[in-house]
Amino acid sequence: MSVAKSTTIDGDSDAAKRTASARGPVAAIDVSIIVPLYNEQESVRPLYEAIVRAVEPLGRAFEMIFVDDGSKDDTVAIAASLARRDSRLRIVKFRRNYGQTAAMAAGIEHANGEVLVTMDGDLQNDPADIELLLEQISAGFDLVVGWRHNRQDKLLTRKIPSRIANWLIGRVTGVPIRDNGCSLKAFRASLIKRIPLYSEMHRFIPAMASIAGPRVAQIRVRHHARRFGESKYGLSRIYKVLLDLMVIKTIANFASRPLRWFALLSLPLFALALFAFVQTAANLLLGSGGISLPIAGSGVIFLGSALILVCSGALAELIYARGDVRDREFLKLTQTILAAKRNPEADRAL
Amino acid sequence: MTGQAAAPSLSVIVPVGVRRAADMGALYREYRANIAATGAKYEFIFVLDGPRPEARRALETLLREGEDFTIVNLTRNFGEAAALTAGFERASGGTIVTLPAYPQVDPADLRKLLAGLSTADMSIGYRWPRHGNALDRVRRSAFHGLVNWVTGARLRDLGCGARAMRRQVLEEIDLYGDQHRFLPILAMRLGFRVSETPIRQSAQDRHARIYRPREYMHHLLDLFSIFFLMRFTKKPLRFFGMLGAATFGIGAVLIAYLGLDRLLLNEPLADRPALLLAALLLVLGMQIFALGLLGELIIFTHARGLKDYRVEEIIQYPEAVAASDSGSDSVPDDPAASPEMRATTPPAVTA
Repeated sequence: MSVAKSTTIDGDSDAAKRTASARGPVAAIDVSIIVPLYNEQESVRPLYEAIVRAVEPLGRAFEMIFVDDGSKDDTVAIAASLARRDSRLRIVKFRRNYGQTAAMAAGIEHANGEVLVTMDGDLQNDPADIELLLEQISAGFDLVVGWRHNRQDKLLTRKIPSRIANWLIGRVTGVPIRDNGCSLKAFRASLIKRIPLYSEMHRFIPAMASIAGPRVAQIRVRHHARRFGESKYGLSRIYKVLLDLMVIKTIANFASRPLRWFALLSLPLFALALFAFVQTAANLLLGSGGISLPIAGSGVIFLGSALILVCSGALAELIYARGDVRDREFLKLTQTILAAKRNPEADRAL
Repeated sequence: MTGQAAAPSLSVIVPVGVRRAADMGALYREYRANIAATGAKYEFIFVLDGPRPEARRALETLLREGEDFTIVNLTRNFGEAAALTAGFERASGGTIVTLPAYPQVDPADLRKLLAGLSTADMSIGYRWPRHGNALDRVRRSAFHGLVNWVTGARLRDLGCGARAMRRQVLEEIDLYGDQHRFLPILAMRLGFRVSETPIRQSAQDRHARIYRPREYMHHLLDLFSIFFLMRFTKKPLRFFGMLGAATFGIGAVLIAYLGLDRLLLNEPLADRPALLLAALLLVLGMQIFALGLLGELIIFTHARGLKDYRVEEIIQYPEAVAASDSGSDSVPDDPAASPEMRATTPPAVTA
């Protein structure tokens, strides 16, 4: 038997998607299960078995996409041996380690299902919960987020920072998700494929998606203690989470009107400058001991800075106007059209 | 006479810049003899970076003598990175070799360089044994130490112009400015394997080169841009945020201190120059932060075209029988039974 080896060297990623869908063994796939894997050689096989055991009885056409994030161990070899026996398993192998967000993004790009489910590769999520997620999607939600009930992790280094982060993310983004760190999520493919995922945004998928105003459901999912290997994430994330949060906030709320946002930022500076100038002028006019150089100088600094901020806002406006991602596109993703029957004639004509 | 009728498998690009051999003909013949010795079909592409009349005359003489190579003439000096890109556009070989336009390395060692490709995607030469005085050595090790520290690479001779690489490497890297020096580092960043091969230094390269201060500065600035590109392309706010938060923080502490002084010790605020410094630091921090947000906006609005990752291959066996009960061994494990489907993904837009 010959080994067919096809190599595509095309320019754009659309071409990759086309080949990917042409490659699909089943014409229509309901559910794609996306699992990023990084050095999980012990977990791969049990994970695969658990997913098949949990999803097969649901009677829906499904596929599994294992994204190997540049593992150094035998993860790929084991996964490939599984794939050899199961056409529903696709392995996307990275050239090196790119991180969890990239792995998720790759999985989402290579998935053909109508509903995408993401989960961790370390067996801490229970594939048996996939059924619950899918029920919520069928019930009309666009995005279902798992919430790790009875979480099996260290309290001090994992649970408490995560609780603070979730509270903060909820406050800032206005999407009160209980557990952003839980990887077990389900999305409508039409929604998530349009959301740009980069940097370490996987933690903020619901917040990112909130640009489109999705209907979000949260359900309790089981969580198991880590069976193999070490946790790959530590405390150093806090600083990154904070900054990413700022980015999300800026993008979600202000991306379409950056000038306004930068102008808002400059308002307190203008106020301070005004205060300093009034104080200086009052001193001058009332003749009570001349000008105070530090105060007048601070006024000049504040004024200059406020002007530069406004200019930055204008620059941001330009960038946005020239860019190719608009939140206008997101508007279409989840909208439902409720047509009021104002013109029965037209309706009948249809 | 090298009548290359079929498509060559090896493309040799020689960027001819400010530094070039006095006798291009001799250099070319030496290169050609050693490349031909590998037995591969090859082509030579000379890229004249700017008007180089005497080099052009020498090459045209060679063409008249029946040699077969391509000359790409750039209208002005665009730099070596641009020259390499221009040459690459003409190259049709699956392996790309870049060679310096002056005797820098011993051409006899080119075979070793190409042999390095058997285990790596890119093989770069490092001149060894290296000649030069103590100052040269210090300068070199300082520069490479800095580069390696910043990028996490382990390279010894970035200045060596002799490199061999798979075509894909140059296809994915978007070279500009003076980045040719950092080609191996950019390749590593995309996940390519890079190996170093010791090659002998050419006798004519064994003189100390005098660098002007401007060149040092350029190297350092290039290094900084590479550092920024490698670490923060996808998260500009991490970089600007760090700087901005630090500046803002110092300013805030200073303001708080001055405020407390005013409130508790009744020290008048108006005649303290430290107030100026505090105000300056505060607004500077805000500015830097705003710049970071601007960067994030750029990334976001182009996020669709950017790809964070490079896929090496996709493994799926479309003909494989779906195991009815999970994990059972009822299906014979026969690797040849199903046609294997492997695809390398298309090169995406460089991050």
